[in-house]
Amino acid sequence: MRDWNMKGRDRQARLEAGRRLASGKVVAAQDLVAFLEAVLRPGDRVCLEGDNQKQADVLAKALAKVDPAKVHDLHMVQSGVVLPEHLDIFETGIARRLDFSYSGPQSARIARMMFGGRIELGAVHTYLELFARYFIDLTPQVALIAAVSADRAGNLYTGPNTEDTPTVVEATSFGKGLVIAQVGEIVDQVPRVDIPADQVHFVVNAQRPFYVEPLFTRDPAAITETQILTAMLAIKGLYAPYGVRRLNHGIGFNTAAIELLLPTYGERLGLKGKVCTHWALNPHPTLIPAIESGWVEQIHCFGSEVGMEDYMRARPDIFFTGPDGSLRSNRAFCQTAGLYACDMFIGSTLQIDLAGNSSTITGSRVAGFGGAPNMGSDARGRRHPSAPWLRAGQEADPTGAPALRRGRKLVIQIGETFGDGNAPMFVERLSALDLADKLDLDLAPVMVYGDDVTHIVTEEGVANLLLCRDKDEREQAIRGVAGYTEVGRARDRKMVERLRERKVIQRPEDLGIDPLDADRSLLVARSIKDLMIASGGLYRPPSRFRNW
Amino acid sequence: MTSPTPLPRSWYEESARGRLAHLLDAGSFTEFLGPERRELSPHLALFNLPRQFDDGIIVGAGALAGKPVLVAAQEGRFMGGAIGEVHGAKLTGLLHAARQLKRDVVILFDTGGVRLQEANAGELAISEIIRATLDARAEGVRMVGLLGGRAGCYGGGSLIAGCCSALVISEQGRLSVSGPEVIETNKGVEEFDSRDRALVWRTMGGKHRYLIGGVDLFVGDDVAAFRAGAVAALERPALLDPAALASEQGRLERRLARFGDATDGTEVWARLGLPHPAALPDLDTSAFLTLANTQRESADAAR
Repeated sequence: MRDWNMKGRDRQARLEAGRRLASGKVVAAQDLVAFLEAVLRPGDRVCLEGDNQKQADVLAKALAKVDPAKVHDLHMVQSGVVLPEHLDIFETGIARRLDFSYSGPQSARIARMMFGGRIELGAVHTYLELFARYFIDLTPQVALIAAVSADRAGNLYTGPNTEDTPTVVEATSFGKGLVIAQVGEIVDQVPRVDIPADQVHFVVNAQRPFYVEPLFTRDPAAITETQILTAMLAIKGLYAPYGVRRLNHGIGFNTAAIELLLPTYGERLGLKGKVCTHWALNPHPTLIPAIESGWVEQIHCFGSEVGMEDYMRARPDIFFTGPDGSLRSNRAFCQTAGLYACDMFIGSTLQIDLAGNSSTITGSRVAGFGGAPNMGSDARGRRHPSAPWLRAGQEADPTGAPALRRGRKLVIQIGETFGDGNAPMFVERLSALDLADKLDLDLAPVMVYGDDVTHIVTEEGVANLLLCRDKDEREQAIRGVAGYTEVGRARDRKMVERLRERKVIQRPEDLGIDPLDADRSLLVARSIKDLMIASGGLYRPPSRFRNW
Repeated sequence: MTSPTPLPRSWYEESARGRLAHLLDAGSFTEFLGPERRELSPHLALFNLPRQFDDGIIVGAGALAGKPVLVAAQEGRFMGGAIGEVHGAKLTGLLHAARQLKRDVVILFDTGGVRLQEANAGELAISEIIRATLDARAEGVRMVGLLGGRAGCYGGGSLIAGCCSALVISEQGRLSVSGPEVIETNKGVEEFDSRDRALVWRTMGGKHRYLIGGVDLFVGDDVAAFRAGAVAALERPALLDPAALASEQGRLERRLARFGDATDGTEVWARLGLPHPAALPDLDTSAFLTLANTQRESADAAR
């Protein structure tokens, strides 16, 4: 007769092996490597928690020290490949196969290791896509996660940086896998229960907080006047006419400039209360002045941001906070919110081709996707109407029957025609294609597909791709805002002028914007210190961002 | 479009020309060797680097609260305000004029030091400027340095500042011979983490320099405040004689004995007797001055 509980028995065996090296659920830090050797089996699917912000760094270091003769050929299924140890385990043979989402700082090394055959790549995913696969065909047998604190029973407090943890634990624990948590301290009572004890099998007291990267802190001092101009174009040319209330902002300086222009330029345009009220957003420090001046009603967060904890605790109407007062972030839910409940995504990119495909790949780097492709895509399953969504749908298909016409999410790419190091943002061919050739990938790593992009904003103006009726118009609309790049100089001037008459392209002067008004004095805060002052001293910027 | 901003005109944010325009009495400024003369660096083209028509420094004459002064303003946004051959010659010439005219000088420092691409010419320029400074000061000319720019005041620039009769600094200002990256490169990240900006400011920033008597006046990051500071600094004694030098030497020896083994700015501030030293960086200008002025060290007319 078939054994219907092989997974449960497998977990039981691991639990027993682990308990020999633990005291109850608690594993001593000095026994961690031996403990991991006892509970891990060759070929296991393992989720080592880490994303673009938080890291289970102590568990990562311990995993890199296990004996490859005992533990080898692991299949890593994890959001972020960020710490050196995440790749060291592939050098030593502890791990062999990888499915991931984001690789930020390790993007060059991961590409080298993939090219050299050290890593067998499953696929590069978006966060939400990888989370989905945890429940279908990539369920972890062991999850190594990070929390702020645990009580003796194993209840976990994951705090403001809860992020991926509930999703990872849900898939692993109910999929009969083993959940091992590193915690900063063991306490009598956790401030709130983010993960219930019966889903947690072992706890390691790391005696220090897990590592968190302040990824979403943008220093207003570094915002350029060109970025301010693009922000003015976006606010007056897109936010105002579409009346966008529910949105997500990307990570770059252009969107930081928008956040800092709301209380000045936006206020003057009479937009307060009419745009930017509800957000799926990490707690950007640059949004503090807009929050303080009453622009924002509610923000749900993917993760937290270093230094913002006390500020968010003091603004419970705005942020999702627990009974203990601290933020509860949740990446899976916030990604879903950004996909289905936001009418706009706006973000920067490094390359856009003539079809509007965009990519952050330049040179030999596999940076992964993170969440941007989900934010920057039209949700085909969306069914609820909203004014911006309906209007965008109507622009794309003016003759369709209104009651049967899909709306469209506004997906906006914003940037300067020449980016860092004077590299052109507009290209004939994405570097992502060269990388796909080199690594023999079936799919080029495209961040946002051209058919999802609705608008492109540069200092040259706003291109509305929804109004383009064929491939040629689309190409000329893109060339028309590409300025003095090779792509821009190869535009068909007559066609671009016709597109301008139809408002497919709108120049600054068409929107009543004088580029000379794009001045840093328009920024409501011009330094990190201004942001701290705007927060009433509640925002505590990390040391590296302080110039005082 | 009218400006909606209630913020003061930030010294740190302004260009060199913007600072000068609002520092001096309105309409009083006359530029010497302006950009229309195109006195370009003879060296930068060798490195395929862009040049600027004023070589990153503006020199001229103007008035401050009715008093005629000579002024020089470094542009920190051009090569970090670095001092090259032409840049240095313009400042040297201005100081020679100050000596002959017996007219006080205000220098708006914003520099990382010598322009490395012009190595020897830049180093020579620094020594010529220092010699001209001391010659002018020997004639009783006041030299006031204003420190609050983006590039800080480092290297040779800091040596020139050290020869001034009075220095005015804002919180954003930094004054140090070696910059953070230089210290880290030579002594290692354990000695000094240049990316820890709060540490940089605790070590070289305006508040710390004011507390240990490295500068004379502390003002907010506001062009109007710098103007008031410059006017006040021009009232200070100009005297540079052996007695002043000896007394400053004595002060520096005492300072070394008192703080020489401190490992962080906060430790120095605690020894100065300041309450809650760790909270000091967060204080605003007036709260800081109230506290600082009871405990700080002050320099003599030399430093």
